[in-house]
Amino acid sequence: MTVAEVLTATVRIGASPADVFPYFIDPALLVQWIGEWADLHPEPGGRFALDIGKTPVRGEYVEIEPPRRVVFTWGVAGKDSLPPGSTTVEIVLTADGPDTVVQLFHHDLPAEEFDSHLAGWTAKLDQLARLRT
Amino acid sequence: MLRALADPHRRQILRLVRGGELAAGEIASHFDATQQAVSHHLQVLARAGLLSERRDGVRRLYALDPQGLDPVREMLSELWPSALERLKYVVEQDRKKTAAPKRAGRKP
Repeated sequence: MTVAEVLTATVRIGASPADVFPYFIDPALLVQWIGEWADLHPEPGGRFALDIGKTPVRGEYVEIEPPRRVVFTWGVAGKDSLPPGSTTVEIVLTADGPDTVVQLFHHDLPAEEFDSHLAGWTAKLDQLARLRT
Repeated sequence: MLRALADPHRRQILRLVRGGELAAGEIASHFDATQQAVSHHLQVLARAGLLSERRDGVRRLYALDPQGLDPVREMLSELWPSALERLKYVVEQDRKKTAAPKRAGRKP
């Protein structure tokens, strides 16, 4: 069963798109807000590897249009039901005055994978919860 | 929901029951924790709507609640926003550090 799901998320950041964009392509910057380890080769077909907790997220960059848009594929290494390359994350940065509106679209996420995605994500949630308190 | 899923034991319980209904004792046998502790986790998951619970004589049986999957999806759709909130925080902090404090980072 594969019910395609699109997750969307958005945030407004008090910085220009040029300031925000590197956080999607520079591994040292990426892991400041998601995951703990990353190996990124930001060019079309280049490697996108990110470990979130025990979940090895693997994919590749599809489109890179600084400072406006970045698209990469997303899957989990060794997971037949969600193989690397099976889903796509699209990020759009839009300048709005001094701010940047970040829109994120996670395409083609199969519904039945949501709860197994959970394990990796909850580690991130714990980290977030600690930071906020 | 977030709290129910934040505990690794509870996530493990959900993985165990994905394959089908299990008795509380069978679930507990997978953990070093006391049966009482596991029972507590089961109650938390049931209250969060992730597990369904039924009695069969003296046994209590637990299954993944299919109705609960919708809240899980809802919750997951909060995960990317959480990460993006973190991104916002990090970017704005970094800007305060590097750029001279020409802007207080707070809107009038």
